[in-house]
Amino acid sequence: MSKLETVGLTKSFSGLVAVKDVSFHMDEGEILGIIGPNGAGKTTFIHLVSGILMPTSGSITFKGRDITYAPAHVRSRIGIARTYQLIHPLENLKVIENVMVGAVFSKDKSLKAARKSAEAICAELELDGLNRDTTQLSILEIKKMEIARALANEPEVLFLDEVMAGLNSDETKQVIATVQRIARERKMAVGVVEHVMGVIRELTERVIVLEAGELIAEGPYETVSKDPRVVEAYLGGAA
Amino acid sequence: MKLKGSYIAVVAAAAIVIAFPAFLGAYPLNVARSVMTYMALAISWDMLLRSGQISFGIAGLFGLGSYASALAVLRGGMNPFASVLFAAAFAALVAFALGFAILRLRAMYFSITTLALMEIFRIVMQNLHDFSGGPEGVVLPKIIFDGYSPALYWLCLGGLFLTIGVSWYFEKSKMHLALTAIRNDETSARSNGVNIFKYLLIAFVATSALQGMMGAIQVQSYGFTTPDTAFDANFLMLPMAMALLGGIHSTIGPMAGAVLLGIASEWLKLKIPYGHLVVYGVIIILVILFMPQGLFGLARKAMRNRRKAGANNE
Amino acid sequence: MANKRNATLVVVLIIVAVAAILVWRPTVLINGIQAAGLYASIAIPMGLILGIVHIVNLAHGEFMMVAAYVTYMLCIATGIDPFLAMLPVALVTAVFGFVVYKLTIKQALKSPELNQLILTFGIGISLTQVANLIFTSQTRKISFDYVSASVDIGDLSFGVFKFVYIVIAVLMVVGLRLFLTRTTTGKAALAVGQNPRGAAIVGIDVDKTYGFVFALASALLGMMGAVFITTSSIFPAVGSPFTMKSFCLIAMAGIGNIPGILGASILLGVSENFLKAFRATRGWADIVFFVLIITVILGRSIKGKKA
Repeated sequence: MSKLETVGLTKSFSGLVAVKDVSFHMDEGEILGIIGPNGAGKTTFIHLVSGILMPTSGSITFKGRDITYAPAHVRSRIGIARTYQLIHPLENLKVIENVMVGAVFSKDKSLKAARKSAEAICAELELDGLNRDTTQLSILEIKKMEIARALANEPEVLFLDEVMAGLNSDETKQVIATVQRIARERKMAVGVVEHVMGVIRELTERVIVLEAGELIAEGPYETVSKDPRVVEAYLGGAA
Repeated sequence: MKLKGSYIAVVAAAAIVIAFPAFLGAYPLNVARSVMTYMALAISWDMLLRSGQISFGIAGLFGLGSYASALAVLRGGMNPFASVLFAAAFAALVAFALGFAILRLRAMYFSITTLALMEIFRIVMQNLHDFSGGPEGVVLPKIIFDGYSPALYWLCLGGLFLTIGVSWYFEKSKMHLALTAIRNDETSARSNGVNIFKYLLIAFVATSALQGMMGAIQVQSYGFTTPDTAFDANFLMLPMAMALLGGIHSTIGPMAGAVLLGIASEWLKLKIPYGHLVVYGVIIILVILFMPQGLFGLARKAMRNRRKAGANNE
Repeated sequence: MANKRNATLVVVLIIVAVAAILVWRPTVLINGIQAAGLYASIAIPMGLILGIVHIVNLAHGEFMMVAAYVTYMLCIATGIDPFLAMLPVALVTAVFGFVVYKLTIKQALKSPELNQLILTFGIGISLTQVANLIFTSQTRKISFDYVSASVDIGDLSFGVFKFVYIVIAVLMVVGLRLFLTRTTTGKAALAVGQNPRGAAIVGIDVDKTYGFVFALASALLGMMGAVFITTSSIFPAVGSPFTMKSFCLIAMAGIGNIPGILGASILLGVSENFLKAFRATRGWADIVFFVLIITVILGRSIKGKKA
């Protein structure tokens, strides 16, 4: 059964259509790649699904429940979490507190219980020095902290918006391995936006391709990457 | 061990301030009351500031509390002590209702709107001649505790302790995470389950209740008020300067700032009757320009640097 | 289509309302427009700063207070007329505004908005209190014969001098428009206001532009302060109410819309004087402005949410 589903999802900004009639679904335990050239509407799409933006038309359902216009905090409480393309650390909170936010507010945990689960998640991601200020972290550590914070929401669906950007290949591999393991253990559905196709190939079972806000192809990466429309979109984008 | 030490220090400090009337006369107690009132306002202003919202409405809620309490006694025959609680509840209720509209605003729009509300409260009190006494204000039949100054001191201290307690709770509970997350990054807060409106409303209602309560204590201790005294801009300006000087986003910062500035201003008031408030303006400017973290922020930074230096030496 | 019809309807309603007031109580309109001129000519310099430097100067009213005191001193010392004092006072306040900008506001341009608000608030307090130190809180006034000039039309008699404010406001609107669209400096300032980073890339000195705009706005405000003392007595806190009024008018007009400030001022001035026309509501006239500001701000926030 699909966890998350959209039908005809559309978002326009004063006439400019950023996401157009996108219908998609995500199943339990699957890792889905979301790819497309720059400006294709990938991030806008995630904003819509996570409630940061409200759609112009179409619908979103989560486990059969209509959440098209549910506010962002409600979505994170029922099980949709995400990270951001641009980092969003809470700079006046310690690293551990940053991670705890997800557990405290999405899962109504006490501070003590939240701290415990935040510590466990950070250990899994091999992030330490939890009493530091976020300003003392390296870019890899900030990315890990933001993934940890998303995981602390204990989501059933998780979106990672270009988490690998700014990381070298070793770091990327490390993050990929962790995400894969956690997704499997928790039977999470994970949506990954990524520009590095190697990552997509290695990580995902299925991809969707967006171009100019429209979903133009769907399927395993190997098939999709040979689709003439996809090749055209990428070449067109490059030209 | 360390926790126990600070616990003992807090209890000892509380015991000393409770015992003040034993060795202080009426005048110093009066000064202490004024400092404590400003301190409570400074702390409550800071509590909402922790969410990133700058309220310019402290004086408005303070004045509203004064009038609610005075009128409850005068027109409703309420017990003066009960009227303090009534004023707090009334301020909370007003804040709750207003919160639905104004907590959608951010930055300068929120600030200016709270300032405008304060003016509206003042004009209403000035014009409801039959009910509120108009520009001449209201005079209570008698001062609470018959004006016995140690009792007045303890009443004010009680209000201050309550404010410190609530502020401390805000620092130690999940309110701290919620308000800091909202201040740092609303988007991130939302997508991690923080119901922004709910926590802003809690903070706004709680701080308004505290401000209303302090206004009520003030009016019951002096026995009269007028629109100009109840909504005096000093009740906005001084607490802001105190919190900024001591260090915002904490309980201890505004407390330290209030002690320093409160005592300094009593002294300056005697030296320079006109314009001693210039000190507050200059302090606000200097603090914003040269040490936006305040005194406690500076101290914290110095301590961290020393620790770092120590670590490097090893 | 529907929009156009609505707009026409609003215009017709306004004309009918104005005509009705004119017939029934002409003084409401006359006093309203005179007050509007005063509000607008104080608000326009603030609008210039807000539109280009993007700073809410909470010391705006105090800047005018400074100009008023400078004029007062000058007139007392030399016996010249405030209208003659306009130019020297403008020069003084331009330098004053420039120095305040360089010493304080410039340092806080990159700080959070919170710091800027509190900073200019602190500047305002300091200016008021320095005036208190030097001049005490006593009110001061110089009287001029020409201020009481009046006109009789039928049984209606009213003062005409205060129309000088609406003249000043209109001159400011026209002058600023010409300056911002016709001169190189003005065009550069407009570009900086719209996109400071872009303007810097094409070689405009942003810092210099900000400093210039502060000086220009302060000069305009200085002239206004000079005229202000002809009709009003002055005291240290005389400027404070105008800060918020100015901000409200700018918020109503929309940031960057200088002619709109004049329109908003007329609305405010006429509504205030409407309430002042009745004994029962006279004391409530001040509230109009605050209710208006809250309505406008809330209205804008709701509209912003929908868009």
